[in-house]
Amino acid sequence: MPHQCTNCGRTFADGSKEMLSGCPDCGGNKFQFRPADADDRDPPRDAEPPDPPDPAGTAAGGSVARTVGSAASTVRNLVDGGSGSTSDPGAGVGADTDPGFDPDSDPDPEPGSDPGTPERTGAPDTEDSRSPDPSPGESASADARAEDSAQADARSQVVSPEELPPSGPSAEESAGDPTAAGAGPEDVPERDPDPPDLAELRAELNDQFESIKILEPGQYELNLMELYDREEYIIALQEDGRYSIQVPERWHD
Amino acid sequence: MGLITEIRDSISNVVSTLFSAQDPKRIGIYGPPNAGKTTLANRIARDWTGDAVGPESHIPHETRRARRKENVEIERNGKSVRIDIVDTPGVTTKVDYTEFLEHDMEKEDAVRRSREATEGVAEAMHWLREDVDGVIYVLDATEDPFTQVNTMLIGIIESQDLPVLIFANKIDLDEANVRRIENAFPQHETVPLSALEGDNMDEVYDKIADYFG
Repeated sequence: MPHQCTNCGRTFADGSKEMLSGCPDCGGNKFQFRPADADDRDPPRDAEPPDPPDPAGTAAGGSVARTVGSAASTVRNLVDGGSGSTSDPGAGVGADTDPGFDPDSDPDPEPGSDPGTPERTGAPDTEDSRSPDPSPGESASADARAEDSAQADARSQVVSPEELPPSGPSAEESAGDPTAAGAGPEDVPERDPDPPDLAELRAELNDQFESIKILEPGQYELNLMELYDREEYIIALQEDGRYSIQVPERWHD
Repeated sequence: MGLITEIRDSISNVVSTLFSAQDPKRIGIYGPPNAGKTTLANRIARDWTGDAVGPESHIPHETRRARRKENVEIERNGKSVRIDIVDTPGVTTKVDYTEFLEHDMEKEDAVRRSREATEGVAEAMHWLREDVDGVIYVLDATEDPFTQVNTMLIGIIESQDLPVLIFANKIDLDEANVRRIENAFPQHETVPLSALEGDNMDEVYDKIADYFG
């Protein structure tokens, strides 16, 4: 039972369409994927390499040799990769009102999420729409048994565009854009091994401001990685955008 | 033989007690705002020292400065564990004073609270980098744990190789869903509890002794 509702624990067959409109039992819209074994064909993994290229991390992260799992290493790369950009402690604090990346404006910051549609359905959904060809793909011969009845059923029926809710355009976009087949973030499942999620997160963070952005007095956006990464830290903010920082006792070059 | 073994054991017990007495582990209580971090810190501190750590509130960002309670000695199964509890401000990526206006706060106070909360997050992140030996990550079990803040903080904690326990708090509420938290962070131990009601605190202290002792 590869799919499981993270809310009530109900399980679903791989490719099951039941999940597409939320868990029938509890209405939950987050599902985790539990492959029966490591070789199981998993469309999201096909769509996204498990270990995405990481130029910033590999360039700057060589000094750290610890391996504490993929999620941790990705974050570490993120930490290391960002350490070179903190030359000006004041750069992040200012009255810049560019909304920029707003992690909290979306109630669910996971990539590809859409409050109106089930989280975990991106893969089967987009697969349906962009590859109506019944051939299951490159790994089909090895994993023909993975094509269970639920998958076959889901594959056999392609939803018509009129049935798609206007707020859930991912399938239409994927269908119209062949390049989306490779690495669209909307294909990234919520609970799959973390690298795609964190790679996306890192890209978003890279686009963020430095440590603290003052939208207006009393409204702040914080870049947690940057705050974590810097040796000095902000101890007092002023309304006019000025601030006090505490510098480390021994300042490194 | 038996006597010598006993003497040796008691000497090593004294030595380990001495070392642990000299060097209590500093345990940071982290998590998003309003997860119940201060309630937990107060529960632990009251249970073992009789004192509280700081005021609790249902208004987010009540804790805006990290607060420490030092030398909390927890006795478990004949063992004694000494920890310093660090209650930290709730970590978030956005602080907005308008959120506090809903709690009947004047704008001026709300803006100040917002500013202090932002400073508090900066301080909490700084502590995480420099000053903690282990982390208790507190989550409100009635809330969705799949958030950017939780993923990022757990990732940072893992990258630091810090021992971490996930506490699924507020299990006294009907909407609490511990399984959702276990699913979100399967690589870590999740302990259900209600810091407010004192539910399951025995397991909480067992785990603290196991992980941070």
